[in-house]
Parts: sequence; C-alpha cells; structure tokens
Amino acid sequence: MSDPLLRVRDLRTHFRVKRGFPNPETVTVRALDEISFEVKRGEAFGLVGESGCGKSTAGRSILRLVEPDSGSIEFDGEDVLRADKARMRALRRRLQIIFQDPYSSLNPRMRIGTALAEPLLVHGIMGKAEAAERVRDLLVEVGLPRDAGIRFPHEFSGGQRQRLGIARALTLNPELIIADEPVSALDVSIQSQILMLLRNLQETHDLSFIFISHDLGVVRYFCQVMAVMYLGRIVEKGPIPRIFDEPLHPYTVMLRDASPVPDPTARKAFERIEGEVPSAINPPSGCHFHPRCKHATELCRKVYPKWMEVDAQRGVACHLYDPASGMSPKP
Amino acid sequence: MTAPATPAPVLDVWNLTTSFRIEGTWYPAVRGISFALAPNETLALVGESGCGKSMTALSILGLVPTANGRVEADGIMFEGRDLARLSDEEMREVRGNGISMIFQEPMTSLNPVLTIGFQVTEALIYHQNLSRAEAEREALALLDLVKIPSAKSRFREYPHQFSGGMRQRVMIAMALACRPKVILADEPTTALDVTIQAQILALLNELKAETGMSMIFITHNLGVVAALADRVAVMYAGDIVEIASVGELFARPTHPYTEALLRSIPRSDRDTAELHTIPGAVPPIHRMPKGCRFAARCPLAQDICRAMDPPLEPLDPESPHAVRCWVRGGHDLAALTEDANV
Repeated sequence: MSDPLLRVRDLRTHFRVKRGFPNPETVTVRALDEISFEVKRGEAFGLVGESGCGKSTAGRSILRLVEPDSGSIEFDGEDVLRADKARMRALRRRLQIIFQDPYSSLNPRMRIGTALAEPLLVHGIMGKAEAAERVRDLLVEVGLPRDAGIRFPHEFSGGQRQRLGIARALTLNPELIIADEPVSALDVSIQSQILMLLRNLQETHDLSFIFISHDLGVVRYFCQVMAVMYLGRIVEKGPIPRIFDEPLHPYTVMLRDASPVPDPTARKAFERIEGEVPSAINPPSGCHFHPRCKHATELCRKVYPKWMEVDAQRGVACHLYDPASGMSPKP
Repeated sequence: MTAPATPAPVLDVWNLTTSFRIEGTWYPAVRGISFALAPNETLALVGESGCGKSMTALSILGLVPTANGRVEADGIMFEGRDLARLSDEEMREVRGNGISMIFQEPMTSLNPVLTIGFQVTEALIYHQNLSRAEAEREALALLDLVKIPSAKSRFREYPHQFSGGMRQRVMIAMALACRPKVILADEPTTALDVTIQAQILALLNELKAETGMSMIFITHNLGVVAALADRVAVMYAGDIVEIASVGELFARPTHPYTEALLRSIPRSDRDTAELHTIPGAVPPIHRMPKGCRFAARCPLAQDICRAMDPPLEPLDPESPHAVRCWVRGGHDLAALTEDANV
C-alpha cells in the first residue's frame, strides 16, 4: 500500500482562446504548466492558490473533463491518459468530483432520487429497486432525510445541496474524490457541518481527496499535504502544518500572511502585499512570481527556478532557497 | 440604551425595522435594531446570509425597494436630520455627499460602456457642481489616492480592462469622491482573492485614518472583522445578538451564537483538532419561531428561551458589551421563569 494512489507527472493543459474585437486573435492560456504530485491512499491533498492559478484545471484534467496536452496521470497503476472509452468509464467509477455549486450540476426537473440512482443504473451495477434502496441509504449517510429522494433540487438549501453533491459523488463507491471548492459558497456554520461530514466519510469509506480551495484555514483543517499553485505551476509542496509554520516560497508566505485570522490581537501589516496576479496568457519571464517578490534577483527575472526536493515530503521552486542551509529569504 | 457621554455619534440608528411582504403578510428582516456610529469608527456588522446585515445598510440609505419592502425607525439620525423622514430629493443629496456605499461586485455597479474616468468625474459634477475640467483633475487625484497604478493613462479605459481588485479601487474612489462622513461597505472584499483583499483592507484603513470618516463594514468573515473593526455587532435572523469592542468580542464571546461561530472557523494560523458545528440552519423569514430565534440551535436553551424574546442588554450597567440572551445575559432566570408562568 506504499504506492501512491494517484501519480501526476508533468501535467500540462493549455487552452487556446480567441480574444479581441473586431479582429480576434488566438492566444494560449497556460492554465497548467507541468505540475507533478502524488496522492497517497487515505490522504487529503490540498491544492491552494488564487483565482486563475490552475487549481480547478488540475482537478478537471485528472478526470479528463478537459483533455491535458501532455504529461501522465497514473491512478492505481493505470495510465489514465491512455485509457480508452470503456476503461475511462470504469475509472470514473473510482474517481469522482464535487463542485462548488452543486445546484448547477443537478437537473432541476429530475427528482433527487432519480438523479442519484442514475449512475447505478447506467453502470449496470444494480436494478431499479435495489438502486432506490441504496439512494435512501446514501441520503441518510450525508445527513438528509431518508425520503428526500422524492423532492426536486430547488427544494433544498445551499448546505443541503452540497450534501446532495456529496451523495452523488459517493454513489459509485469511489476511491478518490476531487473536491473543487466544496465549501466556498457556504456560510460558516454550514461550512463546518460539511467539513465534518467529509471528514467522517473519509474515515468510514477510506477515501482519498484532492481538495481544491483558496481558503488556507479550510485546507489546514482538512488536508495532510498541500501544494501551492501560482500561474499554472506548483511553487511549493509540503506536509501540514510544517508548510504553514516554515513556508519556503515567498508566495506561500504572502498567501499565509494575507489570510485573515479571527484574532484582533494578531493584526498584521497588510501593506507588504504587493501587486496582483498577472495573466496566464502572458506570464512574466523567469519566475512568474518575481514582479511581486521583494527578494527577486536578476536570475529570478530571467530563468524559471528548477523544482528542488527539500526532503522526502517537501519541495519548492525558488532560486532563493538554499538547500545547504535549508533557508529561504526571510520577510 | 444610554451611551456614555463620548463624542456625539455621526450616525445614530434607533429601533430600525425593515419588513418584506410575502404573500400578503409583512415579515421583519431587520427587527428593531439600534446602534450608534462614532466619528472615525469602523463598526462591523457580521452574520450569515439572511441575517439582515445588508438590509440594514440599504435601509439607512433609503434603498429598500418600496414595492414589497417597508422601513420603519424611531430615527436614523445623521447630521441632525432623520433620514427616515427625508424626501426622495433630500435623500439623493445625502447619498454620495454624506453617506456613500461600496458594494460587493464592482462590475455590476460600473457602467460597462463608459470610461472609468467619466464615471468618477460624473459623481463630482453632479454632487459638487464642479466644471468638467475641475472634476477631471479631482477624479485623477482620487484614482491616485486609491493607488491605481498609472492612473493618468488608465483614465480613459473601460471597466472590463480593469482587474477585480482595481475595479473595487475605482468603486472606493467614487465612494470617496464627495468626502462622505460615513461609508457603508457591503462585503467589499468577498469576491476578491486573499492577497487583493488584504490590499483593499489596508487601503480602507489608511483612507479612514486620513479622512476621519466612519465606516460600517458588512461581512460574513470574522477574520476580516478582526483585521479592521473597532466595534462589532453580530447579527442573527434580523437581530443584533451581541455588540462589543473588537477586542472584547473575540476575547469574551458571550452569546452562544457568537461563541459557536468563532469555534466553527477552521483557522490558518493554528491547528484545529475538532471543528465545532452549529446544528440546523437559520429559520426562513416567514417561519421564525417564538422566543429567541437561536433557541432551536442553541445548546444552552431553556424553556424561557423558547417562550420569550430576550432583550439586548449590557452585561452590566456600565459595560458597552451587550448581549441578547436569557442564559448568558446576566438575567435572574429563576425569577423570570416564575414571571413567565404567572
């Protein structure tokens, strides 16, 4: 069981989009640029970063909801990118996704019970009566009434809809769930309910997670390992809480310091946070982060830093990290 | 509530109730709330969706739709006038000039077919009777003030050419254009990334210090509250359930809802072994229970909580820390229960 459940190597997804009016030109959005990571069995792996950093594209590329350009994805020893339609279908039973807004992924005219039973019937796993019983069990498992299946999506509140999204992902007994900002649209009191539910399910079903979020607090609570993304690349990776206590990349430091904490005695000087995230269409030369980094050198402006393994669990892509001393620039 | 004799408040809201009509019946979304805003103070209104925090701001500015909405108050006092009793025309004068508002989504408040410069200038021409040339000079100074890089060259650009953070800076510039005494900021950083949020919060703090204005900051994020508020009012189901200075509220959260909310937040600065959860959900506006509206979700609820609505009262007569709770508010429960039974 020491082999990772999921191994992603040099995954690259670029989008070609037309921009401009009246003479549109085709530009390339470098949404995902050669990212690599592994998810162990039973582990919750956090992908964090700001909008446009490629974290959602990473989740979708793994499921091939968007087709990656290059790289490899290995799930339990099987090459996902080479899988044909039939194999992919089998793989999708084991790999599921939860979206931020479950309402948009539910058919408004279909009763919940029918919608949840559909995958069981499509995959030919069980008959109608059996599927209906399984749906009732699922609803109870995610904290909804046993008979909620006769209702329509609009009859549920935001928190209940996310429970439905989770039930839908669980229907086929997956091994890995990609959760894309599953609690971002929810109020604090509902958010904690959903996080507790996900954690309980992780234990009872022995699930692994790729947990995509912009909220460092949520990731710190839910995940054991985290990777920080910036403009399509992973800039730092490491175990929680070490990556919070001793971040190595200046961007991880910035993200951590910008995250507000509910403690007025710990007010921070926000003034040190500079600049905005540039566009992935035309990323800055060298290290993409250099225009916002106060430690940037000539080298940072010219050459993208190589990925350095710090130890078995940690890695960073920063010219200023010194492997001999294990030191990063201090803020 | 009698406040200690400190500087006269810039804005004083007495017993504000905002109701909405659903199928012929009026239901209050904000229930008789009162608060005062001191000069140069930031008061945070915090609570979850539907608690009435945005409605409070819209009510102050007279922006509640009158078709199905109704605002009643004993007084919304601002510069010696009661805003609840002003004509539409007088209210237009107050909006922008005296009190201005910043919304969550700047793109919906900016006109996509007009340049940024034009839109900032327009407010100045309209409210301050400046000539176009004067107004443009002033507008440019404002865009510099909110730290829009190379403001001069971006003056003729359109909203879609600005990033989310820059658009919010433009909205802040427009809100500041007429040097208002009070800014109502309704979730101004909720749609922004954390590093941009941090920049906007820093900017608002800086502007507040420079201009001496006061601010009502509406948010659901207790981290943001901790970062910039002077005083905090926690709202639940249309009530202020607790109000205190920011230090006091976070150090001694007293209402069971405030306490539970603080313990439900997974924090980025420390490990959270067990996350607290609040069972259930906020009841819908047309199905509010009798008594304390939080009772059904409250671990401390007693019989009296389900029977009678608690008042918002100071913890002790001298204290600026007030709580709306029978159990935690320092009431004599035995005596009250007896009264209720009589």
